[in-house]
Amino acid sequence: MTSLKTGWQRYWQWLVGVLVVLLALGGFAYNRTRAHADTGRTKVVFWHEMKGPGQKALDSYVKEFNRKQSKYEVVAEFEGGYNDVIQKILNTHGTAASPALFQSMDISTSQMYHSGFTTPMQKFVDRDHYDLDQIIPGAKAIDMRQGQLLAMTFNASQTALYYNKAVLRKYGITPPPVDPTYSDITRVAKEIHSKSHGQVKGMTMEAYSWLFEQLVANAGVPLTNHDNGHTGNATKADFTSPAAIKAMEWVKENIDAGDFMNFGSGGNASANESASFLSGHLGIFMQSSALTGQLYKTLKNDLGVTYYPRPDGTKANGIAVGGAALWIANDKPAAVQDGAWEFTKFLVNAQNQADWQAKTGYLAVNKQSKDEPQLKALFKKSPVLAVSGDQLARTKPNNTNSGVFVDGWVPARTAIQNAMQQIFAGEDIKKSLTTAENTYNKVLESNNRANGRN
Amino acid sequence: MGIELRGITKAYEHAAQPVLREVNAEIQDGELFVIVGPSGCGKSTLLRMIAGIIPITAGQLAIDGQVMNGVPPKDRKLSMVFQSYALYPFLDVAANVAFGLKARKMPVAEIKKRVTEALEMVNLTKYRARKPRELSGGQRQRVALARAIASDAKICLMDEPLSNLDAQLRVKMRAEIRELQRKLGLTLIYVTHDQTEAMTMADHVMVLNDQQVQQIDTPLDIYNHPANHFVAQFFGTPQINLLTVKAEQQATHELRVDSALKVVLKEPLALGTYTLGIRPNQLIATTVIGDTGNAQVINVETLGEQTIIEAILDSGVPVRIVQAGQVQIDIEQRIEVTAKGAAFIFDDHQQLIVEQGGITDDQLVTAK
Amino acid sequence: MISSLRPSKRRPQPQLTPETGSQVTAGIKNFELKRNDKYYAWLFLGPSLLVLSIFVFYPMLRTFYLSLFLTDNFGRPTVFVGFQNYVNLLATKSYLASLQATGIYVVGVATFTIIVGLLLAAVANQKIKGIEFFRTIFTSTMGVSVSVSAIFWLFMFNPSIGILNKLAVGLHLPVVNWLTDPHWAMVAVIMTSVWMHLGFTFLIFFGALQSVPKTLYDAADVAGTNSRYQFWHITLPMISPTLFFVAVITLISSFKSFGLIDLMTAGGPTNATNLLVYRVYRDAFVDGNYALASTESIVLAVIIALITLIQFKLLAKRVNY
Repeated sequence: MTSLKTGWQRYWQWLVGVLVVLLALGGFAYNRTRAHADTGRTKVVFWHEMKGPGQKALDSYVKEFNRKQSKYEVVAEFEGGYNDVIQKILNTHGTAASPALFQSMDISTSQMYHSGFTTPMQKFVDRDHYDLDQIIPGAKAIDMRQGQLLAMTFNASQTALYYNKAVLRKYGITPPPVDPTYSDITRVAKEIHSKSHGQVKGMTMEAYSWLFEQLVANAGVPLTNHDNGHTGNATKADFTSPAAIKAMEWVKENIDAGDFMNFGSGGNASANESASFLSGHLGIFMQSSALTGQLYKTLKNDLGVTYYPRPDGTKANGIAVGGAALWIANDKPAAVQDGAWEFTKFLVNAQNQADWQAKTGYLAVNKQSKDEPQLKALFKKSPVLAVSGDQLARTKPNNTNSGVFVDGWVPARTAIQNAMQQIFAGEDIKKSLTTAENTYNKVLESNNRANGRN
Repeated sequence: MGIELRGITKAYEHAAQPVLREVNAEIQDGELFVIVGPSGCGKSTLLRMIAGIIPITAGQLAIDGQVMNGVPPKDRKLSMVFQSYALYPFLDVAANVAFGLKARKMPVAEIKKRVTEALEMVNLTKYRARKPRELSGGQRQRVALARAIASDAKICLMDEPLSNLDAQLRVKMRAEIRELQRKLGLTLIYVTHDQTEAMTMADHVMVLNDQQVQQIDTPLDIYNHPANHFVAQFFGTPQINLLTVKAEQQATHELRVDSALKVVLKEPLALGTYTLGIRPNQLIATTVIGDTGNAQVINVETLGEQTIIEAILDSGVPVRIVQAGQVQIDIEQRIEVTAKGAAFIFDDHQQLIVEQGGITDDQLVTAK
Repeated sequence: MISSLRPSKRRPQPQLTPETGSQVTAGIKNFELKRNDKYYAWLFLGPSLLVLSIFVFYPMLRTFYLSLFLTDNFGRPTVFVGFQNYVNLLATKSYLASLQATGIYVVGVATFTIIVGLLLAAVANQKIKGIEFFRTIFTSTMGVSVSVSAIFWLFMFNPSIGILNKLAVGLHLPVVNWLTDPHWAMVAVIMTSVWMHLGFTFLIFFGALQSVPKTLYDAADVAGTNSRYQFWHITLPMISPTLFFVAVITLISSFKSFGLIDLMTAGGPTNATNLLVYRVYRDAFVDGNYALASTESIVLAVIIALITLIQFKLLAKRVNY
């Protein structure tokens, strides 16, 4: 029996030993993370989703901000894609892991607002008498609710239309106007295709819901009831409005004419289409204005940029900004939130926004940025880089060009994307869009029910 | 007509030396022909060439007068039993036996009849539904035999079929195979490395060594008239004593190993060096007192009906002596080793030149 | 080092000696000790039960629980709907399409992986000069990660610069929209997945073929069979346990195909490659609809459980020897 007992004792010794080691490791790790903040400054954790040049630029602003003042220390952390961050924010709020300031995408505005996890920017604007007029109306409209600023628009982009001037020159085609209609583009696309004897495709459009949404916005038509959710809780989607159908008919006309090239959807689609465009196999495509700089690098002044197309016989309503905004979380002490606000102001000042546009291709959201020497010089050298900024500047915000204020718009995008793919594959426009509308209406209904908003 | 091997040679491309050289033999219908030799002598290769599993490099193979070089195995009308039994583990005993028959699309009733008969013949009827893994080694061996029986081929090749069995079972199976072969009138070519199997089973034995045939003969003729050193050493346990002797006088009638151990010859020998081969049972050990005698015992094995004595001659050469019965003899005992008279004399090329008949021949006579 | 370790190894280990064993056996007759045994049993099971509860049982039950509710933006269950989520899900056309797509994908991947893998292994099993080089080549996909193979194949499938369409043009074949045509997209992801699975499958099959004793074929030669007969009646049955193993592994691994889909098609076009696992991911972590994702997870778990059950029934029956 003694030996059995010693066996047990050994078992317990092991178990306790392992536990002690685990606890010690945990404590050590915890101390390490704590130690990092012990600099006497108030630590402001900032979550962002910027990669490449955006991340580089952001890091330099953080460094600059931390150097310029001694009260706060901003710590920037890359947190993955836009979709990931929404879930992370919702799941970490109220814990030590959550950030004080975070970047969240255009279509999450309503969800962030409804979460109650954020302090509206308007509070700080009012307290500091911050001059909100310096922010371009079209850029901030998407982050406003009943005249109150919820978040600070930051990395703004709009949809743009690109064409290859060299291709047009080669086949003697008149370029489209800067504010083109559907038929302006169709004409150019068809001519490219026919005059090159099919060597060059006329146009493409990625099966990407954002592009569709902006065509509808530019026609001045909402995608849900209650004015895209801006004047009440959206309960019904409308993907089958005449404007929506017209937009798809425009694409369809080009598909039927054979000048349309289908790249599908997703990251590969946009990579493939810009590769085709740059190599002269494709004349026209539509994408985020954030792509301008990259395309310009290769094509230089052979790059043509226009505003986003509008239906024939209508005036352009203007389109919403995409990209993301900065939100201040309300689970942090006032001092930390103040730090987040200070850093936000710093990021959107005229100089930094000018630098931001020059370096990343996102549109400066500060009105005065275009007068900064950096952007002035840039626009002088390459006027084409100013086109999308002009489009944003002239936009007069209304409920149809300020985004969709609906929780959980991602499923809508998926549904619309499917409809676009079906249409591009030759299926009936009305039928495809109706399917998308019905699919999303179901999501909307159960979502409203789950969130107690009937 | 049987099977004829004419100058069969096997060589592989990459190897300089052939693995088999100029094998000639005639195997009669209905005989049990054993090919014996140490491992690596090429005996399995020869069997596989006869089976047609591997091609013949040079020479001719004829079965019933028909040249079979290049004829695929299935058209040679033979069966084969492998050392590893080559049973299909996923098939039961009956299906294993039926495998080749099914492949030949034999009528189902015929297959059933043959399988039943074959299993009966090897006493496995009770086991027909078992998988090979549920059988003992001996039973697996019988399944392999049954498969050969069922094929109804008149020629059967066996490649060391008993080497995976324990000693007692081996003795039993030897007899069973011999009996089956006789009963079915098979021409059986049997490959083994075991000289006892060769001696006890064969009608004729082919001794292979060094890539070539050393001797083909009946077992007793091989034992009694070994063609060379190798054959003499390979057959008979304990091994034959090979002692180097010099014929110091021209036309001598006596070969002396030492003053006591000598053989008197009927025919005179020329001057030269010879090897004297004396089987252990043709030597006599007599105990002597003190330092006399010509050898010292170093080991004694008492087997009951006989005693094997190992001793070292004073010249330093070891010898083995077999005495009938149980002999009481101590290790390190001095003995005098003498020869009864029967001996083989090999020339300096290890070839047999003289047989000095002895008791062996007398025994043969009395046996008749 | 070794010599210094040895003495400690020889130290008596009391709990392993036969005497102790007999004491324990004797002790079981004693009621008090029996109760102690139970207590000890739970103690031994304790840690693993705890780990299983935290990481397996709780998440499973929680997933099932969530599937009975509607979840709000925070993933909290708010409205109890019973099995309505399941009813809705099974009435959703695109979900049924996903089920079908998953079936096609999984069966396609497993079938082609096995056929091509076996073919390559059979080729590599031949005694041909320089075959070692091909053996190395055939196994090489084992070392390639999902992301690398996805990118590699994306290049090949690229509509304008991809090698496949260049080949097609060269051979005067119609150009295929590999990843934008719903039917071809499925073909494309199956091709890529088969390619990825091939190295491992080849290796396993090659090992299996090598371990089939050569004499079985010799015996079959003598018995008068040709090589095709031998393949079907010897090789296949002999490697059937391996075949089953590969089938199970490939089926399960293709059920789990996520990275490949995410990188190559993101479930598109028109949901043609929106496999069940990818759908769960999208619904949970992109759309934030945890209730729906939970429902889909449970359905997927049931499907996989059923398939595993069927496979093991088959195993017991067919491939045992």
